[in-house]
Amino acid sequence: MPQSKEVWTSRLGVILAVAGSAVGLGNFLRFPGLAAQYGGASFMIAYFLSLLLLGIPIGWAEWTMGRQGGLAGYHSSPGIFHATVRHPLGKYLGLLGFIIPVVVYMYYVYIEAWCLGYALNAATGTFSVAGVDYGQFFATFTGAGADGVALHFGLHDVGLFVLIVYACNFYFIFQGLSKGIEFVCKWGMPILILIALIILARVLTLGTPDAAKPGQNVLNGLGFMWNPRDVAAGLKNPQLWLAAAGQIFFSLSVGFGAIITYASYLKKKDDVVLSSLTAAACNEFCEVGLGGLITVPAAFVFLGAAGIVGQGTFGLGFNVLPFVFSKMPFGDFFATIFYLLLFLAAITSSLSMLQPGIVFFEEGLGLGRKAAMGCLALLTGLGTLMVWWFSKDLKALDTIDFWIGTVGIFIQGMILIIVYAWHIGIEEAWRETHAGAAMRIPGFYQPVMRYIAPTFLLVVFVLFIAANVFGWNFSFGAAAKFTPTNYVTDLVGPKASAVARGSFAFMTAVILLIAWLIHRAGLNWARQSKGNHP
Amino acid sequence: MTTGGWITMILSVGFVTVLFIYCVCRVLFGKPPDE
Repeated sequence: MPQSKEVWTSRLGVILAVAGSAVGLGNFLRFPGLAAQYGGASFMIAYFLSLLLLGIPIGWAEWTMGRQGGLAGYHSSPGIFHATVRHPLGKYLGLLGFIIPVVVYMYYVYIEAWCLGYALNAATGTFSVAGVDYGQFFATFTGAGADGVALHFGLHDVGLFVLIVYACNFYFIFQGLSKGIEFVCKWGMPILILIALIILARVLTLGTPDAAKPGQNVLNGLGFMWNPRDVAAGLKNPQLWLAAAGQIFFSLSVGFGAIITYASYLKKKDDVVLSSLTAAACNEFCEVGLGGLITVPAAFVFLGAAGIVGQGTFGLGFNVLPFVFSKMPFGDFFATIFYLLLFLAAITSSLSMLQPGIVFFEEGLGLGRKAAMGCLALLTGLGTLMVWWFSKDLKALDTIDFWIGTVGIFIQGMILIIVYAWHIGIEEAWRETHAGAAMRIPGFYQPVMRYIAPTFLLVVFVLFIAANVFGWNFSFGAAAKFTPTNYVTDLVGPKASAVARGSFAFMTAVILLIAWLIHRAGLNWARQSKGNHP
Repeated sequence: MTTGGWITMILSVGFVTVLFIYCVCRVLFGKPPDE
């Protein structure tokens, strides 16, 4: 394979690009909700153990395999697995590393458009108008109220913003690795952290805004988030472990297909150990150090515990927080920069979802950059249009997110760590990881990467499927109950949803198409290697 | 905010902040690896 001309211009650039890929809405909206729900200390113990035993080691594996594949001339997940596994079926192990970012982009860009739209609406004072119904605004803006209602293009509709973010993403991707992705992340990530620090300062100085409700103050808000409940009982709760390990896994974007592609542009002696750890640390700082101190305390101060409990990621971010900001002094300003922060977090992530697809079309099918971008824009555009139109209850978005953006990532993460520790072999993989390393990984990570991480991930995955597909109540014996969740009943049975079925059929069609494209790419790669070795 | 809450928050936020600062300093000011 010919070597790619694209390279990172600096070590910090690739670290910020990977961190940018990882830092997303989950850092500021999902993590705080989970930590508050499962009670401070016990959740954080499970969370940090998952970070040390799952997130960081799989990150090292992904960076190493990416660099190794890049040195063989491949930058897409199928290509990297083709080069690493050296078996005719090896390229298919990278199938999900191509499918996940492409399919997740289809709905993620839609959420990215919400962030930009909310920022502009906050800047123009929409949220501070007396009597505004934030739930109704969200339902109309995102189309969660009814199918088709979001396909409009005013300031209070998402349409215009979908077009803007699509144009932005493809413009920066067209600029290439260093002038596009690296440029956006080098500026975007520091700005994101700066904005978060400004908002954090505002939240921590809110005091007791309503003298009639002295209990609703910042300290109690922090307490609601961090106060430990029964730690021993918490740690015996499998749902807590599932939530903590899942949050680490999804937050760090390991197994997603983005890190492996980004790392493939490293040179032979470029460090991966410290770079991977730094990107993970940046993500954790944004999640725990910033997200953990902003969202829940701010909401608590104005709404109390009742306003937070039961709110999901979107409910907290797009229903509760606009109300919270409207009650704050200079609320419009803080709402604007908060949604800009979410937009920056989203755009750095969405760029990382496009690069794996573009590079596959280039290296697998021999397309030029413009043609590759055209193919990817067409494919993702179809998916986005489906999510955009079938927006009632965000059903299409939710279905795709669950089956590809959640189940798929678990499977790809498992494949990654098994190929690293068992196929390459832990000794050789360890040497490869340490080539050019700026720091040594402690020796105990060898058994962690070989035995503990795959087992831990498998247990979490089985628990996840048992709970979220089969509806297991985490009891044994006679008390055990299985009530299939809506992800199953939406697809089969009398309550099946046509939109969920259509979304599932669309995903299946995309998977089959991509599998066929990978087959074609494999033929091209085989021809090229025969040409190189007559 | 209970004492346990303070301890949980300081340990959690402190750990990720120190780790982040340590890593960034190593990247920016650390010696390049031996060839």
